[in-house]
Amino acid sequence: MNSFDIDVAIVGSGPSGIAAATALSKAGFKNIVVYEREVDIGGIPRHTHHPSFGLLVFKRPMSGPKFIAALVRRCPDVRFETGASITALRPGGVLELADASGLRTIRARHIILATGARETPRHGRLVPGLRPQGVITTGALQQYIYTAQLRPFEHPVIVGTELVSFSALWTLRHAGIKPVAMIETGPRISAYRPATLLAKAMGVPIHYNTEVTEISGIETLTQITALTGGNKTATIPCDGLIFSGCFTGENTIAAASHLGLNAINRIPLVDQNWVTSDPCISAIGNAIHPADMGDQCYLEGAKAGAYVARLLAGNISLDKAFSEIRRGEGIKMTTPSILRSDNLGEPHFDLSFHVTAPFRGTVCISQGEQVLNEKSINCLPMRRITLRNNRFATGYPIDVSLIAEN
Amino acid sequence: MSEARWDVIVIGGGVVGCAVTRRFALAGAKTLLLERDRDILSGASKANSAILHTGFDAPPGSLEVACMQAGYQEYLDIHAHLNLPILKTAALVVAWTEEQLAQLDGIVSKAHKNGVDDARQISRKDLLSRETGLSATALGAVEVPREYVIDPWSAPLAYLKQAVRAGADYRFNTEVTSGTFDGEYWQLDSGQDQFSGRIVINCTGTNGDSIEQICRKPGFEIRPRKGQFLVYDKSASALISSIILPVPTATTKGVVLTRTIFGNLLLGPTAEEQQDRNVATVEREMLDGLIATGTEMLPGLANHSVTATYAGLRPATQFKDYQISAEPRKNWIGVNGIRSTGLTAALGIAAHVERLCGETYSDLANFGPAPAPEWPDMPVLAEHEKRAYQQGDGTEIVCHCERVTRGEIEAALDDGDVPARNLGGLRRRTRVMMGRCNGFYCSARVAELTQGKISPPLAGHEKDQ
Repeated sequence: MNSFDIDVAIVGSGPSGIAAATALSKAGFKNIVVYEREVDIGGIPRHTHHPSFGLLVFKRPMSGPKFIAALVRRCPDVRFETGASITALRPGGVLELADASGLRTIRARHIILATGARETPRHGRLVPGLRPQGVITTGALQQYIYTAQLRPFEHPVIVGTELVSFSALWTLRHAGIKPVAMIETGPRISAYRPATLLAKAMGVPIHYNTEVTEISGIETLTQITALTGGNKTATIPCDGLIFSGCFTGENTIAAASHLGLNAINRIPLVDQNWVTSDPCISAIGNAIHPADMGDQCYLEGAKAGAYVARLLAGNISLDKAFSEIRRGEGIKMTTPSILRSDNLGEPHFDLSFHVTAPFRGTVCISQGEQVLNEKSINCLPMRRITLRNNRFATGYPIDVSLIAEN
Repeated sequence: MSEARWDVIVIGGGVVGCAVTRRFALAGAKTLLLERDRDILSGASKANSAILHTGFDAPPGSLEVACMQAGYQEYLDIHAHLNLPILKTAALVVAWTEEQLAQLDGIVSKAHKNGVDDARQISRKDLLSRETGLSATALGAVEVPREYVIDPWSAPLAYLKQAVRAGADYRFNTEVTSGTFDGEYWQLDSGQDQFSGRIVINCTGTNGDSIEQICRKPGFEIRPRKGQFLVYDKSASALISSIILPVPTATTKGVVLTRTIFGNLLLGPTAEEQQDRNVATVEREMLDGLIATGTEMLPGLANHSVTATYAGLRPATQFKDYQISAEPRKNWIGVNGIRSTGLTAALGIAAHVERLCGETYSDLANFGPAPAPEWPDMPVLAEHEKRAYQQGDGTEIVCHCERVTRGEIEAALDDGDVPARNLGGLRRRTRVMMGRCNGFYCSARVAELTQGKISPPLAGHEKDQ
């Protein structure tokens, strides 16, 4: 049973998956396959047409599809299989794959999960009311407009003010659809403030401290009810409602597998080199930290892929045991979430995380009594914070904590 | 079309209407089903807990328990012919307080009185070793081994498809508003069309009393009872193996935790009386309350996400039992007050109605020759069986959450018997867009595939094209 069908199976063809494949290809691995369940490769960028890609990788702004095309040109030898859905993950590098001809299993020496993220839709947010058509997410909106060239509505409301919410605004502008309003539960937008300029230019009001309390319409959406400041109720006639942001990792197959998971968010545990609890499976990109920029995912995928190349070349032997990174109050999630040592000398790691609410103060990484790193930060939840090159001793848990400035 | 004369006209395409239509069509009656909405199952039948009940806790001697048990048996007899699934889960009526624990004895003896002989009390230790995810505060349970989970939408669709193949017809978007009886035929009027039929069967659920007025003064009043539900992601379904029922109170069966045939975990319903007969909203406080109740029983639920929320209306009346009766000399049968047990009882109700019809209108109930029944082969939607994507139907998966292929979607849209003509109908026939992403990945693709085939459409054309 030591026969493998392929060296590396990469699940997902977004920026992080392409990057990992590229790194492995550059390291000389020929027998690698990127499996994409959609008909087209590219993940979220394939339907994100505004120029928010390319700055880190190509030093110039590009649309999502152009970014993906440029990334693919860098890896001419990588094989992509589309319409190929990985439906289960088993120990020993075994994947269950479904395509038009049915189910089969594939055995790979290493598996890299790059399954991406999606927005939390209406039902997951427990938004009250009826269930009419016209209630969608930004991702769906982009596919309606750019991929299918269809108009799902004419007068929508956007829920959320993350960067992706303004992407929704951009997409609507492209289609000539005028949104009625944007709704934000907090007192300011979640994205950087200049993003409001786009809303202003389009004449779209942003309602702060506001939540949707009822969705109305039997077959198609007719209006929503919104509550502002906990006491002011207003109805907003609209035929569309876009739930934007609140990204969640698309970890369905990982969460149903043997992999160790964060008990609360069900994201697979990964060490500082993106290896999961199973040493022959890695997990990268927005599936494990929903959701960072495409460029950040690409750079991460490249590093993770290079590490897998060294693992497969037999240059690295991994410790089976790992230690946990414990998050303090106010920290949404960390990457990595576990630490593991190998034979490459003194172990160290880069730590990335997001805060759950705007924060000013100090972040501290410690192991027992010893402080490994400290940094003053002043940031919003959308910004990824990274503390580089933290040295640690193996076998003991690490704590990451926030100390607010008074 | 107003020229056509029907032996039997069934008003209302819920699970009961579909089963009744099937029964009469198979008996050789020229049968027509009228449904006001765009598809069957658009009222009470679209939202239930999808359990095939033994009737263990129904009132002994009631019409309800008789219909449930006949329906249960017929479902077991025919489901394989129609390729309809059963998930043999068993149910556990769990006591959470000393007071409830003291009631378990009574539940067992009632079950035995109803002929459910295998119901038995099990200890706290046995309960917790069977259901390891359950909160350790559980005190004991009654096990009902033959309570099962079924597909609440494929079953009634199969009934109607079989009826259509036996010569029945149906009209959607047809709301009966009035009718007259000339001593021989009923003329039912929808405002646009008239339908002429010898016998009318009212299966209109939450509208039962107002439709009943066409013939007679109803002896009951519909008091819609709303039930809100939460569907958890498939990841949560491994938390339980059996259906977890509470000890019932006088008015409600209470909040149930059950796996669904589609591999999810269902939590609900609430029981709220309301006036409105058509609209059932979900409310945040009630959903939060359900989550609190569910998480108390099953603490692991806290780490799983919600895939869907929905609300349905049960057509309850002021009476506990079903309200089924035939009006002598008026060729009218009212089938009313079919509450949450309707999915189980539907086939039994249909048999009861056929009998009632024969007894009351013996001169009319000799229909044409009974056709040899055809058995439509329903698509496999059950998570525990081999789905189309696993068999390989030559097409790609469109809906990744529910793993629905393009071939399945096209088959439902182009079905020769009862094609899907709106989004709800397509969702119920295929599971498309029913998953955790609520259409993030597939809704634009579904909009393309359904263009010109469903109403209202998911989208209009891009103006710039």
